[in-house]
Amino acid sequence: MARVTLAPIGRPQDQIATPEELAASAAAFDERRADLARNRAEVATGWGDKYIARVHELGKLTAWERISRLADPGTSPLPVGTFVNHGDRFGERKLAAPGAGVVTVFARVCDRWTMIIANDNTVASGAWFPKTPEKIERAQEMALGLSVPVIYLVDCSGLFLPEQGRTFAGATGAGHIFKKNSLLSAAGVPQIAGVFGDCIAGGGYMPIISDRVIMTERAYMVIAAAALIKGAKSQHITSHSIGGPDVHVHASACADERAPDDETALAMIRAEVAKLPGSAADYYRHGVASAAPLHDPEEIAALLPASLQMPYDTYDLLARLVDESRFWEIMPHTGREVITGIARIGGLYAGIFANQPGLFDHPAHPTEKRSGGILYREGIAKLSAFSRACESDGIPMIWMQDISGFDIGAEAERQGLLGLGSNLIYTNSTNRTPMITVILRKGSGAGYYAMAGLPYDPVLQISSPIARLGVMDGRTAAIASYNSQLDDEFEIPADTSEEQAERIRAGMSAVQEKLEADMDPYTSARRMDTDEIVDFHEIRDYLVATVEMSYQTIGRRRIKNPRIWSMHDLEILFES
Amino acid sequence: MFRRVLVANRGEIAARVIRACHALGVEAVAVYSEADAGSPHLDEADQRICIGAAHARHSYLDQEAILEAAHQTGCQALHPGYGFLSESWLFAARCRDERITFIGPEAASIRTMGDKVAARRAAVAAGLPVIPGTLAPVAGLDSVRQAASETGYPLILKAVAGGGGRGMRRVDDPAELESQWETATGEAAAAFGDGSMYVERYIEGGRHIEVQVLADRFGNVVHLGERECSVQRNHQKLIEETPSPALSPERSAAFGEMVRQAIARLGYRGAGTVEFLLDPATDQLYFLEMNTRLQVEHPVTEMTTGVDIVEWQLRIAASERLGFAQADIERRGHAIECRINAEDPEQGFRPAAGRITTLEWPATGDGDGVRVDTHLQPGYEVPPFYDSLLAKMIAWAPDRDGAIDLMLASLAATRIEGVPTTIPLHARVLDSTEFRSGVATTSTLVELLERWGWAVSPAALEEKV
Repeated sequence: MARVTLAPIGRPQDQIATPEELAASAAAFDERRADLARNRAEVATGWGDKYIARVHELGKLTAWERISRLADPGTSPLPVGTFVNHGDRFGERKLAAPGAGVVTVFARVCDRWTMIIANDNTVASGAWFPKTPEKIERAQEMALGLSVPVIYLVDCSGLFLPEQGRTFAGATGAGHIFKKNSLLSAAGVPQIAGVFGDCIAGGGYMPIISDRVIMTERAYMVIAAAALIKGAKSQHITSHSIGGPDVHVHASACADERAPDDETALAMIRAEVAKLPGSAADYYRHGVASAAPLHDPEEIAALLPASLQMPYDTYDLLARLVDESRFWEIMPHTGREVITGIARIGGLYAGIFANQPGLFDHPAHPTEKRSGGILYREGIAKLSAFSRACESDGIPMIWMQDISGFDIGAEAERQGLLGLGSNLIYTNSTNRTPMITVILRKGSGAGYYAMAGLPYDPVLQISSPIARLGVMDGRTAAIASYNSQLDDEFEIPADTSEEQAERIRAGMSAVQEKLEADMDPYTSARRMDTDEIVDFHEIRDYLVATVEMSYQTIGRRRIKNPRIWSMHDLEILFES
Repeated sequence: MFRRVLVANRGEIAARVIRACHALGVEAVAVYSEADAGSPHLDEADQRICIGAAHARHSYLDQEAILEAAHQTGCQALHPGYGFLSESWLFAARCRDERITFIGPEAASIRTMGDKVAARRAAVAAGLPVIPGTLAPVAGLDSVRQAASETGYPLILKAVAGGGGRGMRRVDDPAELESQWETATGEAAAAFGDGSMYVERYIEGGRHIEVQVLADRFGNVVHLGERECSVQRNHQKLIEETPSPALSPERSAAFGEMVRQAIARLGYRGAGTVEFLLDPATDQLYFLEMNTRLQVEHPVTEMTTGVDIVEWQLRIAASERLGFAQADIERRGHAIECRINAEDPEQGFRPAAGRITTLEWPATGDGDGVRVDTHLQPGYEVPPFYDSLLAKMIAWAPDRDGAIDLMLASLAATRIEGVPTTIPLHARVLDSTEFRSGVATTSTLVELLERWGWAVSPAALEEKV
């Protein structure tokens, strides 16, 4: 029986908790969610109204205005990397670089998903700050992993020179962007560039490797700006006169078309996208349309307990993320602290890997319970087998992390969890089918690695506003640091002098505070340890988009029809 | 065509679907609850399978049990009839996964039309006229005032999260708007935690007119004309007819064509009925809702068009093309249907259970113009668990008066003993001046009942006593 039968999961809100409890849970995250909205709005204005006005005075559009004109009307582009550099300051003048001075978004253009990489011309005229190259490269990696066209909206004054030492020479320095341009091209991913203003030095390679280059009348591309050319002033040489459309569209052939203004250039880019093959996503929906979950994603915040230590039921969570709140669970009877199965997301099949908190029967000791949110022997094996099956079948994988780490202790070591974990790591490392990772509450320790955390190249990793990434939580780290001075129960021994005890307490709390601050989602996002902070009700939007992108381009990766999935083997082998 | 179909319903409609299956050479598997174990229609099926206890929740509404029954009996498709699971998008979606063809529209169409707001939006997008009002909820008195000035009075305020009459307020006059709005938002916020409102024109004494459509999966759509079902009590239709005495033949044709085009735009597949309200004040027809299933009253359309709707439901589900175009459909004569329910109209329509001791029908042969759709046999025990519909009597004649007269004669020739039925009520309504003259509205039946001193519901009866 090669049927894929999705069964209803999840409970209505009123069966999960009382209205008062739900309201209290939801309210616990209000501040975090409000912060997110405010921080996003702040980043979106770049250096502020003055700089937006300056762009307009030059007869140009801002990066976001360009994106909104490129995207299909009525669609909402999904940004990534919004909080790169968040709170960091650069140069002697301690300048902020909101979003690292570049906007990277997934956007629908002529009914196809694209990655748009747009220099933010309201931040230092689109200069590249530390982490700007890495942010661009990450966006290019996403496009490569998903095989979606890349659109560059170039308006860049060059490297932010006071910090050039941090953006130039390293393995991910600015030049690596052009290597990524080349790899995208070599992999057959379409790239289209619009040049709307300055495009200096190495920046010039980025558009030129693109398949189509459209320049506005204000644009120029030069190896060196006029400011560096001797005698430029007396000879009336400007950057525009040596690198404008007259030169590059006609003399050098480094660009293809000229456009009178931003609006026209954007329309011409849309026309190019429209020439590409359409999305194959609908073909892979097998006659079914995308359908909203039965249970509203807006309810997710309310069903997560205010305390990170308290459990919730992952089926209730999944019911608010997947189409029609229906799910085909694979291997339901083993390793129940992780849930694996197939759902439709945006009408397309996706594999779900999720932690389940709460208490479970110990498989070897019938009288004992053990807590979920941890990887044990059976759960690790289940994740590995399901990951291999998804890879074999070409089913995009969604890793929903709320994980404290691996099981520890003598039994765990004897069972060889190191080996089982390495098996899972190997599997995920060699997967070529897109993986998408969601950090819901905790991504801790080796569990974060084993469940396709960012070091394992998921095409996208998003964090909720309460997500925490770290080797271990602050308290555990403090214990580890001061272990030699603590007793068996991790308490300060009774015979310690009061002065010494106070020193240990102060030291431990310092370690704890430092680590807790590091685990803040904005810290992760600032350092590019996660791709985006996403509000609870928006998680589904990102999943729908990435799953659709995974199926957009036909012929680029293995996608089996559901009749011949290896999932069916697992179902049969794990029956009863 | 399918080899075997599960008929996931009971009573007269199960019998009707079994007959359609047999007409197409398809085997029919009947399901039944423990309470329906002896139902005569089971004998007409090729196989029968018990799906659970009397309570519909444990049988006719039990999705797992019905899917399991379909697998066990080797069915390829499933006909949901009306009621029960016929409008469950979730069930339709699950049937699809189970590779049991759901004889009905796509789950997505059922879902859209099952959601009042989504349905209204879809209707507007498809070009159907809707009752003047807001498409999105409005909050705040100023916005409500603005909306009210566009809809006109009387209007109705409906809470977004409301239902079952709660959070609804009628406003007849602009002066009352503020106070009624305050009451309605207060009620809604207290009951549902959401005080936003839809504002809609209130239509009094409207006429219920609906259009039957058939659409195949290749984009071919036909309408089979309208039906009028204004004779209702508590939104329960009692008498239906086609054509509607309220529409001229020209208007009827233009109206049907408008609906046909809208259905084509919606990309709908299968049989469906689009319901409208005819506003007597403005003579405008407004979209109410769409029923994504077979209707109880479908036989009047079959009698006047000669199209077997159930048979076409099966054919469309099996990916056949509609075998005819709009121009091929000729509506002939007039047909009326009376729903014969096991209810006592003189006792507030209290549903009755019991054994049918005597059962006699009028002649229903070719040329008699009378059709009776029923599962009854003498000795049948009417179970107390379900809808009280016992039979549908349909009378056809070249014109409306002829159809009324034939129906009256047929009702007179019918004898059902053992349980009270609605037959006496039908005879009285059909012969009333209001019905005869073709001006009945959805308020008419209640007005007649009041005039005759009959209670409109068991609850109303108790109030009287």
